[in-house]
Amino acid sequence: MNWFERLHQTFIVGERYKTIISGLEKTLIITIGALLLGVMIGSIIAVIKVFAKDNKKLKPLDILCNIYLSVIRGTPVVVQLLIAFFIIFVWAKDGTWVAIVTFGINSGAYVAEVIRSGILAVDKGQMEAGRSLGLNQMQTMKSIIFPQALKNILPAIGNEMIALLKETSVAGYVAVCDLTKAGNQIKNTTYDQTNPILLVALIYLVIVILMEKFLGMMERRLRKSER
Amino acid sequence: MSDNTIIRTENLCVHYDGGRIKALNGVSTSVEKGEVCVVIGPSGSGKSTFLRSLNLLEPATSGKVFFEGIDITDPKVNINLHRQKMGMVFQQFNLFPHFNVLQNMTLAPMKLLKISREEAEEKALKLLERVGLQDRASAFPSQLSGGQKQRVAIVRALCMNPDVILFDEPTSALDPEMVGEVLDVMKQLAEEGMTMVIVTHEMGFAREVAHTVIFMDEGVIAEKGTPEQVFGNPQNPRTQSFLRKVL
Repeated sequence: MNWFERLHQTFIVGERYKTIISGLEKTLIITIGALLLGVMIGSIIAVIKVFAKDNKKLKPLDILCNIYLSVIRGTPVVVQLLIAFFIIFVWAKDGTWVAIVTFGINSGAYVAEVIRSGILAVDKGQMEAGRSLGLNQMQTMKSIIFPQALKNILPAIGNEMIALLKETSVAGYVAVCDLTKAGNQIKNTTYDQTNPILLVALIYLVIVILMEKFLGMMERRLRKSER
Repeated sequence: MSDNTIIRTENLCVHYDGGRIKALNGVSTSVEKGEVCVVIGPSGSGKSTFLRSLNLLEPATSGKVFFEGIDITDPKVNINLHRQKMGMVFQQFNLFPHFNVLQNMTLAPMKLLKISREEAEEKALKLLERVGLQDRASAFPSQLSGGQKQRVAIVRALCMNPDVILFDEPTSALDPEMVGEVLDVMKQLAEEGMTMVIVTHEMGFAREVAHTVIFMDEGVIAEKGTPEQVFGNPQNPRTQSFLRKVL
């Protein structure tokens, strides 16, 4: 059996390539869902932490945020996934949304620190200028600080996006047939130890390269608005 | 105090580091409507802190600031409403780099005064024309010279129809050849009767434009009077020695 026959046997017979496609779909859904959730959580945490610096009333919230950051960054994401699926959302039959929520909460902790550092990197005078015009802290944050912080944080968010995509490969632990799991399944049914795994690796690589291209484009566009 | 008083401070103190640093240590003064009040003094004398405490960018440790009769240091007061009436111009311009000149000027009026974009832009363009920058309306701050940036910063403040404008060393970050164009705009404003509080090192400008000169040292007002009094016949030895150094 030559290599092409082998490929045919592994992926085409029994339409097994469809498993890969549906696995890829799951991986993308989890990544995108978790990213959106993560950016949302991260932005909220970052803003709370920045505001808490000069507002004593936010101190309890700030402490809560710190606990969240420590706990989430202090435990492996696989363990968090297992806790979510087997201890918290015990009624869940489909692991997909559990994975989205878990990866989202996990990613939020990292994104929060990225966004916070991006906000802190914006010149202090910008907040003062906004406030001196009569804008309140939130309005200044939204119209003036955030858009500028975005440029600072985009490369790091891209990093997080890429890491997240690859981290979702452990979703198989909670009965989600993602890309990695799909490859593994085909490996097990066909006894082809090589091609399914290499294909999965190749697909991850291609997605990451596409992400890099997209991020590069975004960055150039953001910089252009300043010229 | 008369009905014309626009800003009045009462024993205003700004302390840092639990009271170890007394940037402002009991300042009581007032600014009348239409008055041009120039604040001078050596660096570290508290003059910038004083200016920034007038719109509470620097929160007061103790003492009071009355703006148009209202104690704005009262925590129940919505400071944002009063800041709309107190324009501020910074040493470092602090234009919004991600907005063009027009957007810099129309953001706050549209958001806070709830006027339409057309109205805000019309007003902004008129003001830009006054300072000779009508053709830079769509330029981004990074494309402007320092003097142009500061002129935009001044008209950005004017867009909110303020009752007073606070200037925090508006020409200190400028190349020398651009100082004049900014001072000219300020002079024009003064002639039109705008109330202004100006922290500056431009003694010539102070002498020419100010109605009142305040000399600050070590967090207090060491001397206050007309330019003729303060520059021509200073009473306080600290004023005398400062003026000897800078004039």
